[in-house]
Amino acid sequence: MTEKIVKVENLKLNIGRKKILDNTSLELQKGESVVIAGRNGSGKTTFLKCLANVIFPDEGSIKFSGEVPLEKIGYISDQLSLFENYTVKQGINFHASVFHIEDFDYSLIKELNLDLNQKIKNLSAGERTLFHLSLILAQKPEILLIDEIIHVIDPYLREKFLEAVIDLMDRCQTTVVMVNHTFSEIEKIPERVLVMEKGQFILDEKSETLGEKLKKVVSETEMSEEVPCIFKRELSYFREYFVYPFNEQLRKKFPHDYKNTGLNEIIKAFIGGQYVKKGNQ
Amino acid sequence: MFRSDLDFSSPLPIYRQVIYLIKLEILSGRLSDGDQLPPIRELAKILKLNPNTVAKAYYTLEEEGFIESKRGSGNWVNYKKARLDSLRKGMVEDEFRSFLETALSIGATMEDIKNLIERYSDNDRKNRKS
Repeated sequence: MTEKIVKVENLKLNIGRKKILDNTSLELQKGESVVIAGRNGSGKTTFLKCLANVIFPDEGSIKFSGEVPLEKIGYISDQLSLFENYTVKQGINFHASVFHIEDFDYSLIKELNLDLNQKIKNLSAGERTLFHLSLILAQKPEILLIDEIIHVIDPYLREKFLEAVIDLMDRCQTTVVMVNHTFSEIEKIPERVLVMEKGQFILDEKSETLGEKLKKVVSETEMSEEVPCIFKRELSYFREYFVYPFNEQLRKKFPHDYKNTGLNEIIKAFIGGQYVKKGNQ
Repeated sequence: MFRSDLDFSSPLPIYRQVIYLIKLEILSGRLSDGDQLPPIRELAKILKLNPNTVAKAYYTLEEEGFIESKRGSGNWVNYKKARLDSLRKGMVEDEFRSFLETALSIGATMEDIKNLIERYSDNDRKNRKS
């Protein structure tokens, strides 16, 4: 399970005068599923595009271990230009001939009730996304990069979409990287959670241990400064503190009611608190 | 088993919760000895979980002696009766302990709880007679 599939080192990329990626490094294992969260404009999409070989970084390297051909990297986003003037049928045939796919899976397309003779440019955002997903799935990718697309599809198709991704993860041991802003649906799929801020990863934690390390305290009184708090919210009746990293000694020293929270709250705390990674935690 | 049975903000790891759900199915008799469990991929799809999480739950259940995995043909319920009785005792005790904590924290006394148990067992006896 610990076979490395890609190693990204010290990526740097400027767009105009703005630093988008700033010494970004990351390693991904085969079969791993990762979610990347972060503020708007923190460089998540740019990072994914670099991984997908769509844009090239100014500096740094992306090394795939062994042979991962380009067609085994799937990148899905809601801002893609497909062959707009093709019909759905033509699009599928073209894709199948380029990537030598013989057994195209029409199940997602059927789920959508798509008219195969419709032009791609006339599809809705959600339809395009799922149409594109079924093209990508047919390639049986080894790495699947999903860029904020959960939001554009309706709840029913969202479920179908997640099922298709889970199926792929189990069948092909695909490494899945998701960029997301809502977490309730995907809560327990990623094994690893990354948070990006100003082109760098400020958090890299296994989801299993993240819940143990981050606790929420609701209190009417001020909390001691010694408790490592990454995000504080003052409301008129009480205060909310997000404590990270938490350990049991902290509970003994400062007895508070340390509560567990879901991934949504955890990410909010990291983004809102602009947590700065200290040393090599 | 449905996704709504899982509690994502609970301190209990998700694979432990999946184990608990399967044990409930076995104890309540909805899954009996020799039944086949859903394949890992299918259960992962139903619960929207990482397949590895489900695999870990199945593996642990196998180690604890409740299911048996046969290579290539899936996972099957397989347990000893004595094992099941001790599991039932343990789970009832856990549930009782958490009930007790809540009851005591809202100001009930042990006497109240004893009375409650007697009243309910009387009702139960009457219901069985009629």
